[in-house]
Amino acid sequence: MKASIVWSSPNPEKTIAIAMRRCYSTKPLNEIQAELDQKGPEYWKHLIGLAIRDKSLDVIEHFCLEILMEDLTEQDACKLAMSFPFMRFLKISPNTWLVAINARTLLEAHNREDGRQFATAILHALKSSSIGSGFVEVAFGVTTL
Amino acid sequence: MKVTLLWCTDPTAIRAVLERFQTDVPNEKLKEHIIYMFEIEDVSRVTTHQLIRHRLASYDQESQRFSAASRESFVIPPSIQSKPEAARIYEESLKASSEAFERMVALGVPKEDARYVMPHAIKTKLVMTLSAYSLEHIAELRTAPQAQWEIRELVTQMKRAAIEATPSLWDIGY
Repeated sequence: MKASIVWSSPNPEKTIAIAMRRCYSTKPLNEIQAELDQKGPEYWKHLIGLAIRDKSLDVIEHFCLEILMEDLTEQDACKLAMSFPFMRFLKISPNTWLVAINARTLLEAHNREDGRQFATAILHALKSSSIGSGFVEVAFGVTTL
Repeated sequence: MKVTLLWCTDPTAIRAVLERFQTDVPNEKLKEHIIYMFEIEDVSRVTTHQLIRHRLASYDQESQRFSAASRESFVIPPSIQSKPEAARIYEESLKASSEAFERMVALGVPKEDARYVMPHAIKTKLVMTLSAYSLEHIAELRTAPQAQWEIRELVTQMKRAAIEATPSLWDIGY
């Protein structure tokens, strides 16, 4: 199984931090963004850590990815689609798929036997493209890969 | 009401992959892979209750457990605003609810419990992430004439923003 990143939410750590601050702040969006910019990426990672610790995984759903997945059989793709209904598969050639997935499903897939190989392929793609490296570090631990 | 599109999937990135594999897919299939993230500000909780019935989306909404309720932060429906006597009754009721909230908080009742007295008219903010497929489905239901005015306006603005950002995906413009 080989994954490559076609597209990702811009600045995923800040995207998650915006969602998290939205829950606990009465401020308008521009003030939340200014506050997050001022506090910087370490603070965004801190917020992600809190969300994962508290199992408030809804906030990480806003980090979305479009993946090109090669060497994935139709049978395995069907199993994954049944197990993880928030993923969307689009077959573009035999054993090659476009997959829409969010970070919560990625985390949940990684924590389950039937999704781990698939999730690990995506994590390798994230690592090699340096996308969401702060999120990967906090959510999966630096030693996971 | 304010609707801001924070980001969306770049369809050209997906189309480049399709081109590389010398395949094409109809917009209907592509719509599940185009994602939008919106910030929605100053809509009533009446409308967000309706909105979150659409489950193929991700939501994070301003919590009333911790945030202070402001007595100016209410939506007034036009049907009430246009009738002076109805508007007076409405405003009296909102004021009574706000005062009850603040008096209970002053007595040491946690905000998360005092909020039970607050009306659905209170304004709220949320972020929402959904696919073009979901947005199209929501728009079909919620921009119909029988939908309520506030969610109709909200979803109309969301769809307009989506069309502006990804025009090639939508067959019919507004």
